[in-house]
Amino acid sequence: MSPRKDLLDIASLQDEEIEFILANATPFKDLFKRSVKKVPTLKGRTMLTLFYEPSTRTLSSFEVAASRLSADVTRFDVDSSSVVKGESVVDTIDTLEAMRLDYIVVRHKQSGIPNLIAQNTRASVINAGDGWHAHPTQALLDAFTLREVTHNELPGKRILIVGDIQHSRVARSTSLLLRRLGMQVAYLAPGTLMPRDTPAEITRFDNWTDALDWNPHTVYLLRVQMERQADSLFPSVGEYHRLFGLTDTRLQILRDRKTWLMHPGPVNRGVEITDAGMNYDRSLINQQVENGIAVRMAVLYTLRPNPA
Amino acid sequence: MKRLYRAALIASEYHREPRRADVLVEGDRITGVADSIDPPSDATVIDCAGQILLPSLFDVHVHAREPGREDKETILSCSEAAINGGITGMVLQPNTNPAIDSAAAVQNVLDIAREKSRIWPSVFTTGAITKGRKGEELAGIAGMKGRGVVYLTDDGDSVSNPQVLRRAMEYAKQFDLALASHCEVKELSGKGCMHEGSVSYSLGLQGIPSISEEICIARDIRLAEYIGVHLHIQHVSTALGMNTIRRAKDRGIRVTCEVAPHHLIFNHEHIGNYDTHYKMNPPLRTAADNAALLQGLIDGIFDVIATDHAPHTEFEKNQDFASAPFGITGLETALPSLFHHYIAKGAFGWDLLVKRYANEPRRLIKLPDTEIKEGNLAEFILFDPSRSTTFTPDFMKSKSKNTPFLNQTLQGQVTHVHYRGQDLLSR
Repeated sequence: MSPRKDLLDIASLQDEEIEFILANATPFKDLFKRSVKKVPTLKGRTMLTLFYEPSTRTLSSFEVAASRLSADVTRFDVDSSSVVKGESVVDTIDTLEAMRLDYIVVRHKQSGIPNLIAQNTRASVINAGDGWHAHPTQALLDAFTLREVTHNELPGKRILIVGDIQHSRVARSTSLLLRRLGMQVAYLAPGTLMPRDTPAEITRFDNWTDALDWNPHTVYLLRVQMERQADSLFPSVGEYHRLFGLTDTRLQILRDRKTWLMHPGPVNRGVEITDAGMNYDRSLINQQVENGIAVRMAVLYTLRPNPA
Repeated sequence: MKRLYRAALIASEYHREPRRADVLVEGDRITGVADSIDPPSDATVIDCAGQILLPSLFDVHVHAREPGREDKETILSCSEAAINGGITGMVLQPNTNPAIDSAAAVQNVLDIAREKSRIWPSVFTTGAITKGRKGEELAGIAGMKGRGVVYLTDDGDSVSNPQVLRRAMEYAKQFDLALASHCEVKELSGKGCMHEGSVSYSLGLQGIPSISEEICIARDIRLAEYIGVHLHIQHVSTALGMNTIRRAKDRGIRVTCEVAPHHLIFNHEHIGNYDTHYKMNPPLRTAADNAALLQGLIDGIFDVIATDHAPHTEFEKNQDFASAPFGITGLETALPSLFHHYIAKGAFGWDLLVKRYANEPRRLIKLPDTEIKEGNLAEFILFDPSRSTTFTPDFMKSKSKNTPFLNQTLQGQVTHVHYRGQDLLSR
């Protein structure tokens, strides 16, 4: 396995790299049970977070992961920097390059920005979500979580991903990784939020009845952006919830079948999920958050910045 | 000054294989074409053994960026790029700043072309259909016609309001002016930046659906049929759009159309890792569209080949895919790319190239063709199939280098450009 500089998406990862990251997340997670949760692995290294889109949990997760590896963590404050004055991303990276950073964690609303940054820096670039394109660390933590609950028996299991597939980098990355690990994937979405072209191996549903007949092992809900209403993608939040949300009736079916429930967060209560769904005993939402730190530690541990 | 081009392989619209002959040029005209011509004592003899001699190419879809964005291209640099690619005539598009939408603006751009371009008087311009290309009010059509615009177009944008387009057609018809359409329903394209399909899904980019172009092609053809005006459809990119035009032609509607080399050669898979050198509008479609467009070119559905030469700065193109501007340069790469991908492989012959990229473009704007025969204006090039061309930044004369062929090598090279008594290029 040759050293990898960047983590930009799932597609470019080799199978053995995926296994290496997932395998290393386990000892890092074991660390969390100790009173001292820190190891000196990345002492003297610097990680910069560059978030052009607001985020709390992913940003914090990377910061906690880096600090548990003893890296120095710096936040590039996009709001108060010259990028709001129209400085291009490439110009910003030229500036950052002089700071001799080791890791740059980037989130941006445009797809492909991390790829562009990676071509212009010797630092390792980690994609923390770009546009509709990819969110590879989310996919890795989802896979890690599902391996935990299935005791490493993913092949053949079915996962139903529900919601705004069209605008979801989580759906793209997570579905790709889980398929590579042997799971069967289906999408459930209203026609307006379903991409016209999806990979042939992904089953497509437009209603819960058919989707539940498919008998998923796990249901993965996506966050629905309220502003999609304004783009005529669905008429109202109420109608979305009724037709595509995890209503209490549908939740009861999951409960009866002991189906696992996942969500990348943050949730919209009353839209894709209800309070009862949040309290469901087979909800993996908090486990996803905890595993996110371990998986991101494993990613930082795996990547190798180019030498200066 | 007399020149004898000896033992060249003469390409023509009328025979598939080039035929060996000598060509004598005196002044700005061809004065002899024969199996063997004894060199007059005062003639310069140019040995052309193994080289193709064909009418110089003529491109009806060129963005020279002057006035307004001279940092990207000027009419001078554009004409030098054209010559470098074996092209000695071009039709400029009106999306300059300010737009070419009045008699004064037409006069201005033609004055620059007369003074600066190296291929005067073979630089022509279109005029906008609407003021400022905004799709709202008619531009100064009669005035522009008086200054010599060859047709009208709001290229880069469709006239979205069909009533405005109808009025423009009715008005243009009385001056015998054709209209050219960049066909796109803007509401369907939205903020799309590439073809909507499997690749836009995996790259997470907003798509431009094929129907955006196809619906507008159908609408514009129906309007033109209703009014009875000549309509020219620019840069067709989809098989279905092309077939709509095919059926219209079969019904006898006055519609012509063009295809760009990049829509034949490339498709959305080539975008790879967000390479903005594959971003243009209409976007690259699918491999099935490539095949259908090539067949359409062979079948004669496309009247002309045209590049949609669209220079942009390196800085602008070195952005994320959605933010980078649409368009690639094409004048310098068109002929070698068509030779490399099609002629060298036998997909079509030199006759098709001469017809679709030299003769028909001239006929489209009512110029005589420049077939290699006695009495015609001497506008021809030599192309050496045994050499190759590497498109380094130094090689290319355009001020912008935004081409997918940057630093690539293609088979064949334009070795000589002759324009009405002048050797514009010789290498």
